Amino acid sequence: MSGNDADAPLVERVKRGDAKAFEMLVVKYQRRIERLIGRMVRDVDLVPDIAQETFIRAYRALPQFRGDSAFYTWLYRIAVNTAKKALMELKRDPIVAETARAARDDDEETSRVENELTDGETPDAVLASKQIAAAVNFAIEGLSEELRQAITLREIEGLSYEEIAEMMNCPIGTVRSRIFRAREAIAQRLRPLLENRSGERW
Amino acid sequence: MATGFEEGSAWREQLSALVDGELHDASSLCAAWREDSQVRATWHAYHLIGDVLRSDDLAGSPARDALLLARVRERLAREPVVLAPAGRLETDAARDRRPMWRAAGAVAAGFVAVAGVYTLMRPAADAPSLSASLPDVPVVARADSFPPAGASQVAPFLVTSEPSLRLVRDARLDAYLAAHKQFAGSSAIGLPVYARPTVDSSPSDGR
Repeated sequence: MSGNDADAPLVERVKRGDAKAFEMLVVKYQRRIERLIGRMVRDVDLVPDIAQETFIRAYRALPQFRGDSAFYTWLYRIAVNTAKKALMELKRDPIVAETARAARDDDEETSRVENELTDGETPDAVLASKQIAAAVNFAIEGLSEELRQAITLREIEGLSYEEIAEMMNCPIGTVRSRIFRAREAIAQRLRPLLENRSGERW
Repeated sequence: MATGFEEGSAWREQLSALVDGELHDASSLCAAWREDSQVRATWHAYHLIGDVLRSDDLAGSPARDALLLARVRERLAREPVVLAPAGRLETDAARDRRPMWRAAGAVAAGFVAVAGVYTLMRPAADAPSLSASLPDVPVVARADSFPPAGASQVAPFLVTSEPSLRLVRDARLDAYLAAHKQFAGSSAIGLPVYARPTVDSSPSDGR
């Protein structure tokens, strides 16, 4: 497995039979995969189905994944192929395509509004997303310089702990601690937005 | 500035390191993932943070995220097997794993049915021939319970997400398959292994 792939520890566990480790990878990549599929497929209602199919296909194919590429690169390709396959099946089945088209035509007004919602969700869900984005951005502005730099170098620049330690001129343990504290500080702001009324969601 | 290092929060820092691929032994966290919704929620939050830092339009909605995970989880539970590496092998097959997995897949395909418990053969009858005496066994195993591979055999094995079933070799099946030489000439497949559920009083080690 490529030594630089941050997913290596989890992928190795999946290959040894730990399906829960695969769930962890799902939670990690679901948003990116859904966004990718949403760009390929006009009908946003199809996105969750195609995303689900993508992850199952990846799970089945994982024994053949040998780490020649990064895990996410491999997963990305599976998502693209799965979306293409879904689009072709839609084209081939005239009844499905026609029903979808008829529903759209009957509902021009609503569908115009829905097209504005990038993920086809309700206004409430869109608001929730906006609140989350705002909370994260606000929280990061409130971090100390060290914490903000550490998490930025990690999440945006994609540097390893070792590289960050070099750039920030501190031990790797300090990098790890700073990134953790940055995440926790941001997560504190997010938690009220993430918990649902009935308690645990996961 | 609060450090947040209250009692019992060490796992959060480890989880954060795992997010970055900088924690090499993920086993206890993966075990905790199963048991503890806080671990799951924290993993989700840490990744959501990373995604949003990179792009606001990945903020998504937690409900949507949870729904997709639930659906994938449900389908994973129905997936027959994931063939896993059998560890360090002394055989030719070890030098070239890819044919081994394909061959092992053919073995698995012959043995499995869907949905949790896999019937290997018809129920045993008191018949003289080996083929009739094969037990009705589920073909599932834990990845960490395989016997060490001998120098002349490769033991591919079947794994599911169900951790409570243990691997047991049955000499009758081994003998049956060796006798039928279905995989003669292939160094990749010695003997497939399978398991029957045992009353397992030892605690699952979380893998």
